[in-house]
Amino acid sequence: MRNQERPACAARRLTMGLALGLVCAAAASMLVGDGFAGPANTLILTEIRLPRTLLALSIGGGLGLSGAVLQGALRNPLADAGLLGITPAAGLGAAIAFYWGLANGFPPALPLGGMLGAALGLVCLLGFGGRRLSGPALILTGVGLSALSGAAISLALTLAPNPFALAEIAFWLMGGLEDRALSHVAMALPPIGLGVLLLLRLGPGLDALTLGEDTAASLGQSPVRTLRLAAIGCALTAGASAAVAGGIGFVGLAVPHLLRPSIGQKPSALLLPSLLTGAIVLTLADILVRLTPLLLPVSAAPPLGVLTALVGAPFLVRIARRAAP
Amino acid sequence: MLAAASPAKTAQRVVSLNLCADQWLMLLAPEKIAALSPLARDPALSFYAREAQNYAQTRASAETVLAFRPDLVLGGVFGARTALSLLERSGIRVARLDQPGNFPAIRAGLRATAALLGVPDRAEAAIAAMDAALPPSGQPPRGPENVLVWQPRGWTSGPGAMMDAVVRRAGLINAGTGARVGLEALLRDPPSLLIVGENTAGDSLATNLLRHPAVRAIPTRTIPARLTICPGPWSAEAVGILTR
Repeated sequence: MRNQERPACAARRLTMGLALGLVCAAAASMLVGDGFAGPANTLILTEIRLPRTLLALSIGGGLGLSGAVLQGALRNPLADAGLLGITPAAGLGAAIAFYWGLANGFPPALPLGGMLGAALGLVCLLGFGGRRLSGPALILTGVGLSALSGAAISLALTLAPNPFALAEIAFWLMGGLEDRALSHVAMALPPIGLGVLLLLRLGPGLDALTLGEDTAASLGQSPVRTLRLAAIGCALTAGASAAVAGGIGFVGLAVPHLLRPSIGQKPSALLLPSLLTGAIVLTLADILVRLTPLLLPVSAAPPLGVLTALVGAPFLVRIARRAAP
Repeated sequence: MLAAASPAKTAQRVVSLNLCADQWLMLLAPEKIAALSPLARDPALSFYAREAQNYAQTRASAETVLAFRPDLVLGGVFGARTALSLLERSGIRVARLDQPGNFPAIRAGLRATAALLGVPDRAEAAIAAMDAALPPSGQPPRGPENVLVWQPRGWTSGPGAMMDAVVRRAGLINAGTGARVGLEALLRDPPSLLIVGENTAGDSLATNLLRHPAVRAIPTRTIPARLTICPGPWSAEAVGILTR
């Protein structure tokens, strides 16, 4: 047996550091206003910045963790809820519930629509390819599903019986945390929390999968069960996230890659740090979004997903280049 | 003498491609309507939605409009530009109606449009009805109350907009500049009264902003969009809601 003490100690130190970073990011998020940095009254703090901060933390955490789990479960470094079409499919379900008045009489219809869309997306993805789908084929299936869902969102909003729907396509495709309320937190937090708890327990199953499906099965970690639980966890987190914040991409893709140099390849060791880093990354991105009207001569803040894509897309290119022969 | 068809001949078959022109046409010369825009029938947006059910409707495409054989087509300054210029090039008279930004401009616009439609007398009746509904003008603001007209996505009405004239005619001070005011900016410096439109179109991010829980602390007055989206004699009713 190798000496396990030193890596365990380093891991604990990293987790502590990330937790501290998370607290700092959350505090900064409470201090920075929308196009304004300065003192705020209680109403602004509790009704606007608190929901915004809580959503950035939980959605970012869920995205980071689901990225780490998907990359482990599908054994593909490009796996990510956005790239595989799960987030766009969730956005489609939520947008239909929103603009057709289902969520008006029954607010939980919004996250339920998102989770249903995410689940359907996952069923399509895994149903078409199956879990034995190889790297490029899986990603291509996901890209196809993503394009299809994006087109379906545009179609649904074009046909929606609301004059403003068309102008709001950007939110469902690129995401945002502007003008969210505590009611959105109440809607999104339970499913995201449930999904996170489920995904955090998948460490042993993911570790076993790195040894191959047969070995994993012989270790008592059924690959089918691991993948199924990963899919359910991702449907919960991605579905509820897209319902209240639209299609924020690239966090799940980039976060595990950011951490692997310091943590290594072991999937179970990546889970908690990915959760914390995802939360930090999205909170910082949302702070930057709010500061853009101060930093640049623009009147409106860009969608949050624009920022995560600007940072995350180069990651995709880097990973693809490294994977190329 | 030959009764030659001159270009200045009074219009008999009029098509409107613009919601505001629809309503002015229904007000001034309903017997000359060949077709209206589809929005004219929307009870949330159109003051004469019920009357509009009696007329044909047309999309803003030159081909569809030509089928109505109009001798005058009304449009707005913005919108349906391609259709309007195509119709002009095929020899049809096109008039682009300005959006009045205050009550004198409404009076002038009603007179000009009535003359265009060949019914100059009807403008005076419409103006008299509007003036009767308006509170007496020239009164000083009723106090320090500053109001903000807050529209979907947070846009405000500033100087030059009809809603600014409505607010001032109601004896209130309009704090809006026409720029966008976000949720936080609104709560940092809240107006004493917030004026929002009535939302009838269901959920959207643009209109849900106006119902954000944090806004509940600010006194709010709702005015139906059919009174505010187009300037007209009905703008006097919007003033009435604010003075009530």
